[in-house]
Amino acid sequence: MTTVAPPEPLAITGCGVVSPAGVGLDRFKEYLDLPRVARPVHAPEDADSYPPLAVHSAGDIKLAEHVGRKGTRRLDRMVGLALVASKLALESAGRADERSMRAQTGVAIGTSTGSIASLFEIATNTLTQSEPYMIEPSRFPNTVLNSCAGQVAIWNSLKGVNATVAGGHVSSTAALRYAQNAIRRGHVTSMLAGGIEETCPQLAWAWHRAALLRPGTALAEGAGILVVEDRSVVGDRPVLAELLGTRTAYRGGRTSLTQGLADCITKLLSDNGVRPEDVGVVALGAGGQVGARRIEEQGVRLALGFLPDALRVPEALGESYSAGGALQTAAVLARWSGDSPASERFGLVTSLGRDGAIGCVLLRRPS
Amino acid sequence: MSEIGGRRVVITGLGVVSNVGIGVDDFTESIRAGRTGMSPITSFDTSRFPKVIGGEVQDFKPDAVLERLDADEWGRSGLFAAAAARLAARDAGVSDEELSSAPSGSVMGTTSGESAVKQRLSEQAVGAGPETVDPDLVLMSPAHRIAAAVNTELGLNGEAHVIATACSASNYALGYAFDLVREGEADYVFAGGADSVNRHTHAGFLRLGALADDVIRPFDVNRSGIITGEGGVALLLEPLEQAVARGARIYAEVLGYGVNCDAKHMVHPDAESLARCIAAALSSAGVLPHEVDYICAHGTGTPVNDEAEIAAVRSVYGEQLPPISSIKSMIGHTMGAASGYGAVISCKSLHDGFLPPTANLQQLDPALGPELDVVPVTREATPSVVVNHGFAFGGNNAVVVLGRVS
Repeated sequence: MTTVAPPEPLAITGCGVVSPAGVGLDRFKEYLDLPRVARPVHAPEDADSYPPLAVHSAGDIKLAEHVGRKGTRRLDRMVGLALVASKLALESAGRADERSMRAQTGVAIGTSTGSIASLFEIATNTLTQSEPYMIEPSRFPNTVLNSCAGQVAIWNSLKGVNATVAGGHVSSTAALRYAQNAIRRGHVTSMLAGGIEETCPQLAWAWHRAALLRPGTALAEGAGILVVEDRSVVGDRPVLAELLGTRTAYRGGRTSLTQGLADCITKLLSDNGVRPEDVGVVALGAGGQVGARRIEEQGVRLALGFLPDALRVPEALGESYSAGGALQTAAVLARWSGDSPASERFGLVTSLGRDGAIGCVLLRRPS
Repeated sequence: MSEIGGRRVVITGLGVVSNVGIGVDDFTESIRAGRTGMSPITSFDTSRFPKVIGGEVQDFKPDAVLERLDADEWGRSGLFAAAAARLAARDAGVSDEELSSAPSGSVMGTTSGESAVKQRLSEQAVGAGPETVDPDLVLMSPAHRIAAAVNTELGLNGEAHVIATACSASNYALGYAFDLVREGEADYVFAGGADSVNRHTHAGFLRLGALADDVIRPFDVNRSGIITGEGGVALLLEPLEQAVARGARIYAEVLGYGVNCDAKHMVHPDAESLARCIAAALSSAGVLPHEVDYICAHGTGTPVNDEAEIAAVRSVYGEQLPPISSIKSMIGHTMGAASGYGAVISCKSLHDGFLPPTANLQQLDPALGPELDVVPVTREATPSVVVNHGFAFGGNNAVVVLGRVS
């Protein structure tokens, strides 16, 4: 095999998070640093309609305070989560007031279902009304999978490539990978990339009925949006981390998920010239699912030869499915913004679904 | 932006599951003949709907095509995609061993994912309550299962990527797949899309006033909208060098693509933004406007789309408009699969030498302007460069440029 120079890393300049910790990366970091018993929990308002399952809501996100009141009435909660996270992401990238780069900025959002709450609302209307098509026309767009990405573009005038990526547990990672490719291929200079998950009673019942969650794991909602940019447009704005690369794969049937994840990590490290022993922290993503935690840890051990310091985001926040990889990446950024050892140079984010979806992200701490 | 040093990427396999034929030969024959695939919808109860015509693939029998998947374990969209990919693999003459021993993957586009599965879940949740939903259906319902179905059916070992950018999703998928092959990330990638007819999408387009009265008439003065369709489509992309080495039939080369977003309105297209997307695609392909021989239009047949699309074409091509047609006139609006079917017929157009027709065209809309060459019946021609349009809900535009390999 020929040796190819690793591609130029991209810069992560911004991060917007809405999660069970509330709104913002600072609260997210505080929350993760608290001992488990001390973490406050928002139960959903309509708790009676939920199954016997812990559900961690992001609480009142106060959409109007972030984006203004005008035009928000017809939006659903999922779009609201996306808009708040995107606004925070652009602000943290020092791009809140800038307009000149918007035409060259795109969006890649991970979701595997779109808004189940909106879908259920419209489906109920089409099933119960005497005129089944008399649904609210301004609410219909909320039910399409690319609703969030389209609205994020509209509200922020982002005219670059606009992608919605569905990958199950690797949705956020697949969105980051799509974003990385779009920048490297010159379609845009910057991307807002991440993932979103919205909880509602119907979704919680689906998880409960499918018995996919490890006992004791909560279902969480949240959105993580990163601003990923070509180095050439960053200027003197601070860089939170460098995105070296991403990989995803699907291993269905009887193939080994452990080996699949290990191969994915090994290839990602070698493509970027990073030695396994230099990975100082891993943000694990599979700990919320029945029977997946051990597979993921073994995959990491197989690839690296050891298990680095581990951030266990699903255990701390709850299972956030399509938002998982983005919130795990945010957890690494939060850690690096604090007092973790400066010798910790590289971070790995892993995602894995029992259905065969595998993904990983490689980050470098800015020097 | 065209890059130096990337591999040339060609299309060597075409797979189609459509309402005018299963398999690329049947599909192409129907399109060339101007046959339409519309019929009364049977997948849901239409008794309280004023419009009941759809473009269902009513003779789809997954087991007749699939070799590995158990049809009971996958949703309708995933089965469409897997069957289309299986047909594409056969068409390309690649074995499962060749596919699984090389870096291989799939990129599938969709609008509504496993919408037929979600429809059944909704019926259960509204009927007996959300506490009664079928767990097996829950597992089938996420949209990423569509590409997972393709990878599982063919034993692909790499990426299974689903892009849910609505009605341009297959073009998004083709663009991303092109990059994967060009950059050496994979040696075989199946790209395309799948969607299923469902009550909720039918109701939504009806409510938005976008459903046609009877037939779909793109570019006609009496056009009144779309008819919702379904199906699956897959194209096999591989490096030119590999295709030549294994003696594959090469339909077309992927020359480049453009992607952008209107960022103005969720449902109304913006002609200026469409034009920027077309121009970006031509620039990416290194093709000048006068070198384009045919445009496979998005051509939904809604008054708004066709007007914006032709305005965009005029602003890019000036007075020399290439011939243009819309195959949606025959297969309906197949949502996330739509631009995939467009890509398939574009490949056949380049390889076999014809321009596909726009069926049902009675009187070209004079408001679309002069010197517009909408192909009314199949025309023999030898195009070298074809441009395939996909414009979507959410302002998600994607345009792919294909060329003949001589």
